[in-house]
Amino acid sequence: MSGAASLRVVTLAAQAEMALVRRDAVAGPLLAQAARAADGTAAGPLLGQSAAMVRAEPDREAIRQAALSLCRMALQEAQAQALGSAP
Amino acid sequence: MSGRLLGQDASVLAAAGADVQALGEIEEWARRAVVVPAGTEVVDAHVHLGVDRDGHKLAAADLIADMDANGIGRAVAFPADEPGSGGDFRDANRRVTDAAAEHPDRIIPFCRVDPAVGADVAMGEAHASGARGLKLHPVAQRFAPEADECVAVVRAATDLGWPVLFHAGFGARALGPAFAALLDCVPDARLILAHGGRGDHRALAAATAGHPDVLFDTSIAALPDLATLPPARVVFGSDRPYGDHAQALHLVGCAARVAGWDATALHGVLGGNLMRMLEGPAA
Repeated sequence: MSGAASLRVVTLAAQAEMALVRRDAVAGPLLAQAARAADGTAAGPLLGQSAAMVRAEPDREAIRQAALSLCRMALQEAQAQALGSAP
Repeated sequence: MSGRLLGQDASVLAAAGADVQALGEIEEWARRAVVVPAGTEVVDAHVHLGVDRDGHKLAAADLIADMDANGIGRAVAFPADEPGSGGDFRDANRRVTDAAAEHPDRIIPFCRVDPAVGADVAMGEAHASGARGLKLHPVAQRFAPEADECVAVVRAATDLGWPVLFHAGFGARALGPAFAALLDCVPDARLILAHGGRGDHRALAAATAGHPDVLFDTSIAALPDLATLPPARVVFGSDRPYGDHAQALHLVGCAARVAGWDATALHGVLGGNLMRMLEGPAA
C-alpha cells in the first residue's frame, strides 16, 4: 500500500472515530468511505464490519461501542502501515 | 464464544443484527496481535468501575469476565465520573475498594477525588480502605494540573506512597507546561499520564523526559505517540468501559511492531513497569 493510500485510510478512520465518539450521524458515511479506501488491507474488514453495524443500528449504544473498537483497531493497523510496519 | 464481545454483551450485539461470529474472530485476531512474553502477567493500568454521568458503565463482575476472556491478570480500577451528591467521590471510592476486597487478586483500587471538594477526607477514607493510588481528571472536575489545590492532593498522594494517574489527553489545554509546573512543585511525584498524552504528546514527552517516574498509559492512545516513547515509560491500559481489552492489546501489538520492542520491553509495557511503580519510587 502506498504512503498516500495509507494516509487516506488513516484520515478517514480518524474522522470516523471522532464521529462515533461524538455520536454524530456522519460516522456511518465516514466508515463506509474508510472501508472502501481500506479494501484489500488489514484495516478493510474491520472498517467494513464497523460500517455495517452502524448502518443497521445507528442508535444502539452497544453497537456504537463495538463499532468504535473496530474503527480504532483499523486506525491502528493503518497507522502501523503508514509508519512502515506491514504485518 | 464467551458471553461478551469487545466489552459488550454478545446477546445485545446479536439482537441488534451484528455478525457475532465475525466479531469473535476479529477479537481473537486482535488479541493475537501482541505476543505476551512467557511469565508476564498483563496488568491493565486504567479501568473505571461504576456508572459515569455520561452513561458509560462497568460492573466489577463484567470487568472480571472481560479480563478472563482477554488474559488480563489484574487491573487498576477507580471510579467513573460519579462524584455523588457531595461531589467528593466518597461513595464511588467505597464501591471500588469493596470490589477490590471481593477480588483481591484481580483489582487494584485507586481512589478518585475532586481537588476542590473534600479531597483530604476522601483520600483518608480510601487509604484506610486499601486504595493504592489516586486518579485525577482535570477536564471532568475542571481544574488545572498546576493549580494549588491539585498540587496539594498530588503532594498528599505522594506522601502516602501513591502514584497518581491523570487524565491527560483530548482537551484543549496545553499539557506540557502544566505538568512541568506540577513536577516542579512535587518533583518526587510518580505519575501515570493517561491516553499517552494524546493531544499534546510531544510537549508532554519533552516536559517529563527527565522524570523516570512519569509513565504514559496506552489507553485510547495514538500509535505514533506510543511508538516514539521509550518502552520503559509505557504501561498498558484499556480505559474500560470507554475502550476494550482487545483493541487495547492490538494497539500494544502495533506499537511493538512499529517500534521493534523486544520481549523484555513488552514484559515491562504489559505489566512490569506498572507493578514496579506500585511497589515504590525508582532508585
